[in-house]
Amino acid sequence: MSINRRTLLAGFSATLLAPRVAHAATVADDGGRTITIPEKIERVFAAGPPASILLYTFAPELSLGWTRRPSPAECAFLGAGACDKPDVGRLTGRGNTTNLEMLLKLKPDLILDVGTINDTYISLANRVQQQTGIPYALLDGRFTAAASTYRKLGELTHRESQADAFAKYADNTIATIKGRIDKVAQNKRPRVYYARGPRGLETGLGGSINIETIEFLGAQNVAGERRGGMATVSIEQVLAWNPDVIITIEPAFAAAVRTDAVWAPIKAVKSGRIYLSPRLPFGWVDFPPSVNRLIGLWWLAKMLYPDQFPEDLQPLTREFYKQFYHLDLTGAQLDRVLSGQS
Amino acid sequence: MARSSVPGMLIALAVLIAALLFAFTVGRYPAGLGDLFQVVAAKLAGRPSGVPAAAIDVMLQIRGPRVLAAVLVGAALAIAGAAFQGLFRNPLVSPDLLGASSGAALGAVLGIYFSLGVFAIEACAFAGGLAAVAAVYLIGSAMRARDPILLLVLTGVVIGSLLGAGVGLVKYVADPYNQLPAMTFWLLGSLAATTASDLVPLVGPVALGALVLVALRWRMNVMSLPDEEARALGVPTGPLRIAIIAAATLVTSASVAAAGIIGWVGLVVPHIARTLVGPDFARLLPAAALLGGGFLLAIDTVARTATATEIPLGVLTALVGTPFFIWLLAGMSKTWS
Amino acid sequence: MILSGHGLTIGYSGHVVGRGLDVALATGEVLALLGPNGGGKTTLLKTLLGLLAPQAGEVRLADRPLSAYSSRERARLVAYVPQSHFTTFAFTVETVVLMGRTAHGNLFSRPSGTDRDAASRALDRFGIAHLRERPYTELSGGERQLVLLARALAQEPQFVVLDEPTASLDFGNQGRVMHEILALKASGHGVLFTTHDPNHAMRTADRVYLLRQGERIAEGTVGATLDRPHLEALYGTPVELVTDHTGRTVFLPG
Repeated sequence: MSINRRTLLAGFSATLLAPRVAHAATVADDGGRTITIPEKIERVFAAGPPASILLYTFAPELSLGWTRRPSPAECAFLGAGACDKPDVGRLTGRGNTTNLEMLLKLKPDLILDVGTINDTYISLANRVQQQTGIPYALLDGRFTAAASTYRKLGELTHRESQADAFAKYADNTIATIKGRIDKVAQNKRPRVYYARGPRGLETGLGGSINIETIEFLGAQNVAGERRGGMATVSIEQVLAWNPDVIITIEPAFAAAVRTDAVWAPIKAVKSGRIYLSPRLPFGWVDFPPSVNRLIGLWWLAKMLYPDQFPEDLQPLTREFYKQFYHLDLTGAQLDRVLSGQS
Repeated sequence: MARSSVPGMLIALAVLIAALLFAFTVGRYPAGLGDLFQVVAAKLAGRPSGVPAAAIDVMLQIRGPRVLAAVLVGAALAIAGAAFQGLFRNPLVSPDLLGASSGAALGAVLGIYFSLGVFAIEACAFAGGLAAVAAVYLIGSAMRARDPILLLVLTGVVIGSLLGAGVGLVKYVADPYNQLPAMTFWLLGSLAATTASDLVPLVGPVALGALVLVALRWRMNVMSLPDEEARALGVPTGPLRIAIIAAATLVTSASVAAAGIIGWVGLVVPHIARTLVGPDFARLLPAAALLGGGFLLAIDTVARTATATEIPLGVLTALVGTPFFIWLLAGMSKTWS
Repeated sequence: MILSGHGLTIGYSGHVVGRGLDVALATGEVLALLGPNGGGKTTLLKTLLGLLAPQAGEVRLADRPLSAYSSRERARLVAYVPQSHFTTFAFTVETVVLMGRTAHGNLFSRPSGTDRDAASRALDRFGIAHLRERPYTELSGGERQLVLLARALAQEPQFVVLDEPTASLDFGNQGRVMHEILALKASGHGVLFTTHDPNHAMRTADRVYLLRQGERIAEGTVGATLDRPHLEALYGTPVELVTDHTGRTVFLPG
């Protein structure tokens, strides 16, 4: 029974460290990873744009900064002090712009990542966690998981009851809207073309995150036969598809397409069903693909199924912006948002 | 004349015509060559054609401009490639040797990054291509060398590399959800968005540059000789080199601005043309133009028809061009020393 | 007509090869530039051709400074026959010879009937008309040299300047080319060629110009200048002289 110096030292340091670890909690993230989070969470690093937005809506004071700071025009539509937070870069997704040493210097209590759950991102999470010693939580970024994501975020930050309010909003919105749409006959559901890019010839294929909410609402994505991400199509193909509705996020395209002779034969153009998605401060339909799409869901539902959704968007928008963006919209701001201008 | 070039020319012309017929026959929209003939015949007779308005639209407003653009771009790249192969005395040279494509790419991605309008982006691409080659030429000729051609090539490689790094940097800082996909699509090459108004900034520079190159085609034979020999034969090589580079860059930049980066056409088509009509530039340039136009048109037709979504032109030309080029290399020794 | 260089300092940028050189060539005579390799023969030749600018001094052609001529005007008077080489593209022999007519047209002109006739004549003159459709790259070294000679003749020049015309040729073809040089003189051309072999100079030239390390060692008629002391001074090695019973001399390295 030889107690040598090393074991003594190990036992001693374990005791010193023990108090912190003992009160911390273990949480399972959406990637099936069990992580240990400290007792107090005061500084959270958002690893990508969806996480940034999610965190801002839920608890802006916890955020260490933006992966990409909103432009001044966008800042006007966020709560006070939102843009005082610095630009800290992003950790995952299409390219790292954060230096790991800088990350350590920021001393976050938790790294939050919201997005696709697959082996790549799980291994990335494990790697960063191992390198930095900071707990890294990976949450599901799918639109339908919004409520559970908020609840998980509440668990991670020890703010369960606060999270409940947000989760309930998401649940209610989704349930209400889906409920009405389920009653719509299959053949009354519109065929939608989602137009991106300066000429409106970039679109989202079946299952792509860009048209997630559109497909969620039961609309038929004309480009949806093939599954994938984004792709370009020719105008000839759009003519062949002849969609009922065109949803776009490009103001220039939305204005031009109404008078463009080449697009004129399309049903959507003839019936004037070209809808420009609002985008301040964050897009209502597409990017970044985060909880900003919740208010967008009302807008989309109203555009796609006008008979089923007689609601006035204005009070809905005000309510959402107050709770999620911490801002009371003025009348002028409200008009500006709904007009789809950038 | 033992080996006439007439059969070769006819083959090149036949390729173009076949591609034209093919292009108007197929497409994602159910409208075909029969409809086109009906419309033309009806117009001549002054009566309505009975073809649905949307189909006419497709033929004249959509396929028409796109077909014309494909022919122009294909011909432009082929002529520029042939001209550069002569000027740089190397059959393995392509029109982007001096950095025109890299410069145009940088111009375009910067335009996308600053959220400029469509025509502004094209203008930036065009200007970028011209500026890149101008820079290469000025730097290359500021240095004195026994072999001005080699120096130009090396400068072109270096500057092209630098511009490529610039493109990488812009892609890196771009918004990954909005700008980056736009940049990626642009860089892969596509004629999907071509409308009649796009033809205007394309036709002018291409016609001008092509005219200059075709007019100089007799002198290009001499330009393919070593510099001293060419001068001794009475050709002012310095000014002529500038003229050829300028004209080739004009057509290349206009093509890249309109269609993005399309490789292999400028490299492979002159070779095929050479096997058809021989290396004499007097016959090579016209043959390359016909063949290049037909070649790219055929590829573009496949790009817009094979699947519902567009296959990028740069990808298709590489898929077709690479094995072809390997096959060419295998039988290379016959065509030149 | 005279092609002459006066007080020439020749060389490449930053590197002088020879100074204070005077040389002259008249139509109807053959001048050989003789000397060891690296001595400046080719540099002098290119300076006289106007392909290299003299760093000092002047080249004159027909009583005008050479610099006053455009390349086109100059090419109609002086033709250059380089050492035969490979071309990148397999032009036909006829196309190569037609390139000699470049100076007779303008920038955009296509070969005219006159051009084609001149090319045909040149091909016939050197007995290579049967090769006109063959790719230049498939010819032997000797045939290629003849094609380049034909091209020079198609220029219808007053002077023909050849750089080491026999250097890469086999024994038989050397004789052929030397014979053609004499024929050029007979038809009234002024011929200048560089060589490192004194025997070629002896057999074809009227006058020789001995150049060693950028310096003129000697100049004069073949009879007066091509002798053992001059050659030994030129090459810096012993030289042997062999004379046959008819009085013809041949030089051998010692």
